[in-house]
Amino acid sequence: MDLRGNIALITGSSRGIGAAIAKAFAHEGATVAINYKNNALVADKIVNECRELGGIAECFQADVTIPSECRSLINSVASEFGKLDILVNNAFHPYNFIPEKRKMFWDLEWEHYQSQIEGSLLSTHSLCKAAFPLMQKTANGKIVNITTDLISKPSIPYHEYTTAKSALTGFSKNLAAEMGPFGIRVNCVAPGLVYPTDSSAETKENLKEMIIAQTPLRRIANPEDVAGAVLFLASDWSRFITGQTIFVDGGLIMN
Amino acid sequence: MTDFIENAGHVPDFIKNDITWEKLTYSQNSHSLTVNVPILTPVQCDQLARHIKDNSRQFLKKQTVDSIIDLVDQVIDRLLNRDDPIRKKAEQLLPLITGFDPEMSRLSLTRYLKTFRKPQLLRFVSEDFSNPKILDDFQPIVKGGFAKAYGPDCLLHIWSGNVPGLPLWSLISGLLVKAGNIGKIASSEPLFASWFTKLLIEIEPKLADCLAILWWEGGTQDQENSLLQHSDVVLAYGDNDTIKQIRDRTPIKTRFLSHGHKISFGIISAQVLDPQKVWSVAHNAAADIVQYDQQGCYSPHIYFVEAGTNITPQAFAKYVAHELSCFQKKFPRRVLNTKEAIQLASWQNNQELESVSNPRKEIFRDKDGAWTVIFNESDKDFCLSGLNRTISIIEVNSLNQVVPIISPYKDFLQTASLAVAPDELFSLSRQLGEHGVTRITSIGSMTAPEAGWHHDGRFNLLDLVTFTEIESFLEGYSDMFANYTD
Repeated sequence: MDLRGNIALITGSSRGIGAAIAKAFAHEGATVAINYKNNALVADKIVNECRELGGIAECFQADVTIPSECRSLINSVASEFGKLDILVNNAFHPYNFIPEKRKMFWDLEWEHYQSQIEGSLLSTHSLCKAAFPLMQKTANGKIVNITTDLISKPSIPYHEYTTAKSALTGFSKNLAAEMGPFGIRVNCVAPGLVYPTDSSAETKENLKEMIIAQTPLRRIANPEDVAGAVLFLASDWSRFITGQTIFVDGGLIMN
Repeated sequence: MTDFIENAGHVPDFIKNDITWEKLTYSQNSHSLTVNVPILTPVQCDQLARHIKDNSRQFLKKQTVDSIIDLVDQVIDRLLNRDDPIRKKAEQLLPLITGFDPEMSRLSLTRYLKTFRKPQLLRFVSEDFSNPKILDDFQPIVKGGFAKAYGPDCLLHIWSGNVPGLPLWSLISGLLVKAGNIGKIASSEPLFASWFTKLLIEIEPKLADCLAILWWEGGTQDQENSLLQHSDVVLAYGDNDTIKQIRDRTPIKTRFLSHGHKISFGIISAQVLDPQKVWSVAHNAAADIVQYDQQGCYSPHIYFVEAGTNITPQAFAKYVAHELSCFQKKFPRRVLNTKEAIQLASWQNNQELESVSNPRKEIFRDKDGAWTVIFNESDKDFCLSGLNRTISIIEVNSLNQVVPIISPYKDFLQTASLAVAPDELFSLSRQLGEHGVTRITSIGSMTAPEAGWHHDGRFNLLDLVTFTEIESFLEGYSDMFANYTD
């Protein structure tokens, strides 16, 4: 897969799934814009790793839950690289996937939902809106939004997280319908439990084993598995696919 | 690139300033580690052994076994606590030394340490002593009279191998029988016994004079000979050549115990091979292969699989192959050193050459050779694994066929893991026991022996002690001399 000449912005890409996606793009020759919120040191490390893989990479600080910072981020990427071909909305509000410590419905206030909605939907909305004019210029934009397979089967009801990701799925379908006529494709990648990431660091081994036992491909996803599906949706191999969700969970969910 | 430096070993204060230190170096994934290990001269070994003997008599022998269990439990509690500085260090440095996947090391460490908590230690002692108080004082015994068990004043451990934490089995056994302990750490994993000892001494400073953890180059005889002369019991691990040359130098008065290389294997009955159960059996079989890359004596070399259902032994081999590929993503195999890589490549080449001319042999392997499954349709093609995630799967028409295949290896057999129905369990176990197998467990549990395991079929604690008996008539006889005699 040759992505040379493509400019890709990946939000929340200084670690975990985002970092794996950034490195996968770099490996395929894309120019990668690495967005981070706090830790410039780890973002720099990923930039260096992307360069070692043969890609061009720069990092951009922005809190994507703040619309004005989203606009500045897109402007910065545009002024640095001149265009934007691929936008991967990967960042979300920090969330620990620990079933034993999750909040029950009666413990949740609207603010909890609001925080997750801002983390995924507000940020995606702001970035897509800012990126739209840039992508229209080439009539060839690709937007990939990272959701979760829990939207199809909330085997553990992480209410606020899954609700926000479900909203993001609906948002993506509408956006695909609206953007299609401009040659911009919008799709989602819905991973199952991904290990290791900061969010899943404390996930207990017995839960992982339970998921593995129900997964046809018999293992837990790793960040590189997610990156593969994102690359596909950002490449020309998927040029006639939009408004879809690809589940990356080893067949746990089959739609 | 991060450079770590760690001091290993332990010597009592009286000798601390006079010894020299040697550096062992390790590197992995651009990190390097220098481990400083204490080196003693033969004269210092002599002084040390006398000191340890004296102090074990004066302090350790006067402790109750319950108080020692409490002490070990406190240390294990700290090592299980993922926020404890030593535990953090273990998680960081053990993968660097051994090359094992960090996540696999972490999970295995917790699983292993859990077998040394207080309830398990109580069971451990009870396995060998029906009345554990016999370690503390004279207790009535069944034949009449009284007996007390005495641990050695000086127990010398010579450890080997790179399975993290393995020295704990014998070191804790030594402590439970109140032995003065001197351990020689292996270059391939010098840290865990050192950390355990450090924590013990933090909790009970007087133990600093009852324990020593040393290192000397394998094959160096001067220090070893000096310590062998002083030891009451020697417990040696390693390959048979190493054990033989240590045994040959051990004085005749000294009890010599050894754990040499072993062969372990699994047996899968046709009764468990149905579409519903096959996956979990294959998953567990692969888990035992992956754990510490088959470096343990309890790791499987072969699975014998009984034919007779629509899940054939060949299909089972394919399930195991896929499970090994999944584990390779979860816990990648460690990078092999040159010698190991050459040995493995040679084993794989031999298998491939054989498979060309033998239609009954089929090979499944990943493109980088990180795992290999050899399927043998006939037991005539019996072969052992090449270690490091390689396995031989042999089809048998009946479970009774297994024992004749393994019986020539009687002296080397240790663990057999079974996936069989209850009506097969005891008849098969009887045959296995008769042919040298000392531990029978379930598929998936091979590398996690339960608390109180009788290593190689021997008594962990009883083998270390001697009994002093007060014969029954003496009790009555001494009564004759009582001042209250009428």
